[in-house]
Amino acid sequence: MNSFLRKNIVMLVTVLVMAVFLTAAAQGMEKKDFVITLLRGLAVGSITFLVASGFSLIFGLLDVLNLAHGTLFMIGAYMGWTVVVRPDTFVDLLTPLALIVSGFALGDVYPLLASRIRLGLSMKRILPWALILVSILLFGWILPRFPIAIWDVENYAQSPVTFSFMADSGARLPVMPAAFTEVTMPSAFIGLLLASIIGAFGISLFDNSPRTVRLSWKNFISIAIALIIAVVGVAFNDAMTTFLYGLSSNWLFFVAVLVATLSGVALGGVMEATLIRPLYSRPIYQLMLTLGMSAIGIEMVRAIWGRPEFVMPKPAFFNGTGGACPATNFADWWANNCSTILLLDGRVRVYNEIFIPIVGLVVLISIWILLQRTRLGMIIRAGVQDSQMVEALGINVRRVFTMVFALGVGLASLGGVLAAPSMGLSNLMGESLLLNALIALAIGGLTSYPGAALGSVIVGMIQQFIIKYGQIGIAIPFTEIIFKPTPPLVPASTVMLMVIILLLLPNGLLGKKE
Amino acid sequence: MKNFLISHRGSFLTLLLLILLPFIVGLFNGASPADVFVNGNGQSKFIQGLAIEIFILTIYALSFDVIFGITGLLSFGHSMFFAVGAYLTGIAIKSFGLSLPATLGWLVVASVVQALLFGLVLPRVKGITFALVTLGLGSVFHILVMSSEFGEYTGADVGLQGVIVPAFISPANERLRFYFMALTVMVLIYLLYQRFVNSPTGRVCVAIRENEGRAQMLGYNTFYFKLAALLLSSLTAALAGFLHTLYQPIVSPNTAGLGYTVAALLILLIGGVGTLNGAFVGAIVFRLLDYGLRRYIGESASFINGAIYVLFVLFIPYGIVGTWRLKSLQIKQGWERLLAKFNK
Repeated sequence: MNSFLRKNIVMLVTVLVMAVFLTAAAQGMEKKDFVITLLRGLAVGSITFLVASGFSLIFGLLDVLNLAHGTLFMIGAYMGWTVVVRPDTFVDLLTPLALIVSGFALGDVYPLLASRIRLGLSMKRILPWALILVSILLFGWILPRFPIAIWDVENYAQSPVTFSFMADSGARLPVMPAAFTEVTMPSAFIGLLLASIIGAFGISLFDNSPRTVRLSWKNFISIAIALIIAVVGVAFNDAMTTFLYGLSSNWLFFVAVLVATLSGVALGGVMEATLIRPLYSRPIYQLMLTLGMSAIGIEMVRAIWGRPEFVMPKPAFFNGTGGACPATNFADWWANNCSTILLLDGRVRVYNEIFIPIVGLVVLISIWILLQRTRLGMIIRAGVQDSQMVEALGINVRRVFTMVFALGVGLASLGGVLAAPSMGLSNLMGESLLLNALIALAIGGLTSYPGAALGSVIVGMIQQFIIKYGQIGIAIPFTEIIFKPTPPLVPASTVMLMVIILLLLPNGLLGKKE
Repeated sequence: MKNFLISHRGSFLTLLLLILLPFIVGLFNGASPADVFVNGNGQSKFIQGLAIEIFILTIYALSFDVIFGITGLLSFGHSMFFAVGAYLTGIAIKSFGLSLPATLGWLVVASVVQALLFGLVLPRVKGITFALVTLGLGSVFHILVMSSEFGEYTGADVGLQGVIVPAFISPANERLRFYFMALTVMVLIYLLYQRFVNSPTGRVCVAIRENEGRAQMLGYNTFYFKLAALLLSSLTAALAGFLHTLYQPIVSPNTAGLGYTVAALLILLIGGVGTLNGAFVGAIVFRLLDYGLRRYIGESASFINGAIYVLFVLFIPYGIVGTWRLKSLQIKQGWERLLAKFNK
């Protein structure tokens, strides 16, 4: 009992402080407001957690402070939006993206190929650059000619804001037909594949570390998958577009979540394999690289989707209105799919305040199981402790690095697409969320998985309660003054909490001492 | 004496070029030297303005180099040092009507206080946690500057504007004088830093960057050396902010944001981390690149900027000056071989 107390003293104190804080907060407001604010805090905490957990996994295992994580979260949101609102563009994009990825999916084969090539020293220097140049030229020539249903960001009638507005009011959008004009389909297809393979080979030539690779059919799984997706995308283009247009918004949302998460996973894998991997010996440069990636990502989003903010339409399952709404109990909600539900006479939005925390909890538990109960999780946990030792035991840590990076980015993308209907999409959503996630991790402990969850919930709660008190004001005891926290206090309070906690416990609440 | 001149010929040539720059540009534009002296409008004035911005950026980047490149402390709140200087100057002149020397006096006080504030957290947190704490302190300052409560003084999210600069160095009318003032300040700061790095204190700072544990084992109290570096950095950054406020018509709250710290990081990355010359080279490349891209490409400039930084990180990790120093012997040998071939 005594040792239990000593081990978990920080945890117990935290829970106690949280309880005191919550009871104190409950005094100043009505019960229904309290419950709603609590749920909102949980929702913000869940989204923060999805970003923070991936960030902390990556930092723990790879020692990479991935400052592009917020941008990847944002890209996930925009990807999801595209699938829901413009399925035709999504289907058109499928083929070129799969082809671009396919070359990089062949990663382990290139060293084998490179070892067969005997070249002079100067040729060896020039070759990678020449290959990359050829690949860029090929991409630059084919990609603009690939038929993709592109909208005109500057033109209001064709801008994403208008699409969003139309989709929200239930109007079906016109399908923009796309066909190959200047290039024939097979030549564009093969050209992109070739460009991708040449480019990936060129990049892999920079890595001179000797590696022994044994080829087996496993090396070709990922490229086969990418090629199948590409072929399906180009062969059944119209059929898939019509199919997606015909889907109900629930299924479309489901597809969007799936697509955003998977594309995040693919993006993360490619990013680690090409950009992060050459820099493991220079951690500070990785930091700057991710900063640069973040700037590039934001600019790309601005170029494709434009600057104005818009909202992704909610799936019909959470968006019902009508006479029976708001629902008074759960069965009632199930029957009518109301957008709001009455809880202690307060209206709670089902998607924002109930669905998102549930998803957050599901992800929390499933990643926990992955970490604690599977072989991969065991390797990850061991790698966080001492990755050199794990490598010495004969485990291919580099492959696990790529997997964890992909998983982390996938989690961020999942967070993005889930947040899109409730928070809305804007160019700056990534940066503000990354700051939140960083604060949450610093509070909870940078490499601690439960710490990420605890920190996220604390950050979400504090922010939501301060926002709520900003509306109703706090009566300061023994005086007549009513203090209203102003909006700048919302981020400032969590930042100050982080600074205080880091000064008291440099490793965060649940972080282990080094 | 002769040896000294020859071994520093690069620095002297650069200085000479910078002194002559306004006149050369003026002459190329067809103005008589007299016109250049009386600050006629035209291309020369514009180039001077660009150069002044580069000088200010150089001072700012140098101040980051001393804590990041020399001492090895990664601070994400560095823009706060700069913004405190910039805002304090503006507020002191505009709202309180102080003279320039009095403003500088207050700047010294403020920068010592904030360096001590950062120093307060130094012994507790190390490495990435220090970066996070400083990020937190910096963003609290950013939020304060942006908040409407102090809007009367700081101009909230619009930025501080309407600072009346004393007429004798007003950048609008006396641009040439301002140019030489900024140049002088930059050269003095550079010499000071050169002296600092080569002093015993500076050597210990380098030792802390390389291996803090070993420096402690040798009996140095590393805390005092880190604090000294922070103090120097804070004072210089505040000076850069001071010049920024005098030069720019408006102090944007972005100068307090994370982006401005990243700018310093990128300048050092381009020029070479830990090399003092690198700050100047990096500032030139950074500013001209930004200007050129914005002018000729427009909106998507920061996309190409970002791509260039990624390429820099991947392929020129030691920066321009750093790579030059590493490779200069090879390049020299290569030239000699090439010349020998031609002489045959």
